[in-house]
Amino acid sequence: MRHQRLSLACCALLLFAGIDAAVAQSSQTAALAPPVVVSAADKAAIQTFEKQVKEYMELRNKAREKAPKLSKDSTPEQIHAYRTALELSLRTARPNAKRGEFFLPESADYIRRTLKSEFQGKDRQELRKTVFETETQGVVLRVNYPYAESAELSEMPATLLAKLPQLPKELRYRFVGRNMLLVDRESNVIIDFMPEALP
Amino acid sequence: MRPFYIHKLLIAFLVSATLYLPAFAQKPNGESVSNNSHTSAPKLTLPNKEGSVRFAVIGDTGSGTSKQRDTGAMMVQYQAIYPFEFVLMMGDNLYGGEAPQDFDNKFAEPYKALLDGKVKFYATLGNHDQALQVNYKNFNMNGKEYYRFTKGNVAFYSLNSNYMDPKQVKWLEDELSRDTSEWKVCFFHHPPYSSAKKHGSDSQLREVVEPIFLKYGVNVVLTGHDHVYERIKPQKGIYYFVSGAGGKLRTGDIKDTSSLTEKSYDVDLHFMLFEVAGNQMYFQAISRTGETIDSGVITRKKGS
Repeated sequence: MRHQRLSLACCALLLFAGIDAAVAQSSQTAALAPPVVVSAADKAAIQTFEKQVKEYMELRNKAREKAPKLSKDSTPEQIHAYRTALELSLRTARPNAKRGEFFLPESADYIRRTLKSEFQGKDRQELRKTVFETETQGVVLRVNYPYAESAELSEMPATLLAKLPQLPKELRYRFVGRNMLLVDRESNVIIDFMPEALP
Repeated sequence: MRPFYIHKLLIAFLVSATLYLPAFAQKPNGESVSNNSHTSAPKLTLPNKEGSVRFAVIGDTGSGTSKQRDTGAMMVQYQAIYPFEFVLMMGDNLYGGEAPQDFDNKFAEPYKALLDGKVKFYATLGNHDQALQVNYKNFNMNGKEYYRFTKGNVAFYSLNSNYMDPKQVKWLEDELSRDTSEWKVCFFHHPPYSSAKKHGSDSQLREVVEPIFLKYGVNVVLTGHDHVYERIKPQKGIYYFVSGAGGKLRTGDIKDTSSLTEKSYDVDLHFMLFEVAGNQMYFQAISRTGETIDSGVITRKKGS
């Protein structure tokens, strides 16, 4: 019963925020962590974030045209050529990219509160362990540079992903220690990152 | 000559090559040839019934080591007596880099004989796998991070447990809700249940996927990530396996005191064989050296 009440409350808040997450979540998947209170200012911040993501996607689609086509049954050489070309094209398209362009103070504040809510409590110790045990040696946190190919990828908690602003499939949230990254999925280029995002 | 006989002849030849030729002597990484003198002759516990769905399972394979190749060679020996049609990969398909030669050293060469024998591999992504693996032809992911396919009366769901976002959760629910297959098998990297010390049970993932599995009658869940073999005691009627030592091993990593374990093995690499015949799913876990480390049968409840 308690879970059902939490679930309903969480869904209502997500709907208010205009986030698609609630659509995909079944009732039983509601997180145990307390829901984040979404204010009108948060809603505006999320909309700004989503607008920036949309603009990035337009830029990305143009950059992708410069890369060779990649089929669903490619050879390793074709995959390598595509990734290399896409990375170069994306980096060239954002020559002045800098940290904080996507994670603006307002949206960063909302995300930090969401992370804090999700990671607090005794029942979330395993969640922290999962993130912090990821071996990310070699990853240099630098916007517009690629995430080290040989480094491990942190598993993103499913319960958290349901609460963060939704991303197109070409982008990913990722943790490196306490830092949260926004990464281009195929090229591994770091689009932006929030230092010390995790509490 | 019919293709079937050509296939059988090819497999027979490859097995001969495995047993009598120095097929694994040329290693790009310069490792010495592994000593196979301690291997056991293949001994099948599966019924090998006509018309059954036959497949193998490997996890956390992509190390490119001689032991991974040994395990691949043992799979070839078993394939000769038990012609499994395809292999499910539990993720971490390529460790430490994904240049073209990595695809060869860590996958195509260790399983060359199987690939040459037209055995198909279906991969899922682990925490060491880059996204573009979904486009690699030999992983048969069809460009998708999560996908479904069927073989006989069995539906297989490959999930991306690195990133179980709401879109994927919705896709899974949608697909399962209209799935009329008798057997539903999900495979992905992170284990919802595990008794290994290194990672253990992924409870936050379980919190999201287990209710869906229960709601839509998933029978069996196959995972990797922990570099051991473990058969979990059925959890709410679902059978969970951890098969994460196809190329990497964490010796002695299973907790002795775990109440989850039905059977475990953490002293050598392994692979698994499965056979689905009607309402029975038979399984056999086999070590790198050919020893059977676990076997049994799962009976599907009618209507589940």
